[in-house]
Amino acid sequence: MTTKRPRLLRHPGPFNPVRIKAGSATYGIHIRLSLKPGETLFDAMVKPLAERNIRDASTTILRGAFEKMYYCVAPPDPEKRAVIAYSKPIDAGRAYMIFGNATLGRTVEGEPLVHCHAVIRTERGEVKGGHIITEQSIVGSKPISVLVTSIVGIELRQAYDEETHVSLLQPYGEESHG
Amino acid sequence: MGDFRYVENGRMGRVAYARIAPNEDLVIGIEKLCLAKGFNNAFVRGALGSLVDASLEASDGGVIEVKGPAVEIVSLAGEVRSDANGTPSASLSGVVADPEGNVYGGPFVSGLNPICVTFEVTLEEWLPEPAEDTGSSRARTGGLHL
Repeated sequence: MTTKRPRLLRHPGPFNPVRIKAGSATYGIHIRLSLKPGETLFDAMVKPLAERNIRDASTTILRGAFEKMYYCVAPPDPEKRAVIAYSKPIDAGRAYMIFGNATLGRTVEGEPLVHCHAVIRTERGEVKGGHIITEQSIVGSKPISVLVTSIVGIELRQAYDEETHVSLLQPYGEESHG
Repeated sequence: MGDFRYVENGRMGRVAYARIAPNEDLVIGIEKLCLAKGFNNAFVRGALGSLVDASLEASDGGVIEVKGPAVEIVSLAGEVRSDANGTPSASLSGVVADPEGNVYGGPFVSGLNPICVTFEVTLEEWLPEPAEDTGSSRARTGGLHL
């Protein structure tokens, strides 16, 4: 009998001994957000939450139709700068998001950032999954429900990761630690 | 024959967000996060990231292997429960997408889902109320043990 073993990858940068970087809060704030028709997924999520001073959150996009949707996948990086690289945007057309998760955080420069992965049904009827390009995907004619969990006191900020050579969201705050 | 609580009252407690690093296992990583944060029980409230390859449990007990890299985690739901000794056990189920965007779903096999670049997860602590020690609160289980 052969025991299955996971395949590990060697990343281009130095190994970081901190394997789990975590932040926690005594409670979360929950909001039911409706994404506004006609807006980009990015704007429909960022603007109403910023008005309520929420800039860092974990969200679940329950389901809904999009007027336009673009996504990408992550095959091996042909230039070998990292182990993977995002593909060019794939046009899913008038797609339906079956289920999605998105993290709201901030870029290195402090601007809003939405990192979203989802299962979608494309206009051609194919069920696909990948990284949603939130700035180019337009909410369809009906509002889309989102459950927002905001972690009070923890900032989710993009930072260049030396190990993977990719800029990644990481938690920062008084209670965050490795 | 033990008792199984079909209805467990309780409330949500603390919230934790973590970034788990490459080559750590998805399932064991979430269990370690609970140990790090002192959570006995928790629900996954949000999760996304990538795996080197994915291993999902098939209905016949076998393993569905999805070849990467990267296999994107596009949906994940689950919970963590701890036994009487405090040992956490995560049960996670989800949908993944291979490098062509094709999707596969099922329970994640512990130890066989190494993270590729990053995994972002939000856990919400679940604080169950103590079980009432009355006959009316007990349900016949047909051999299920908590």
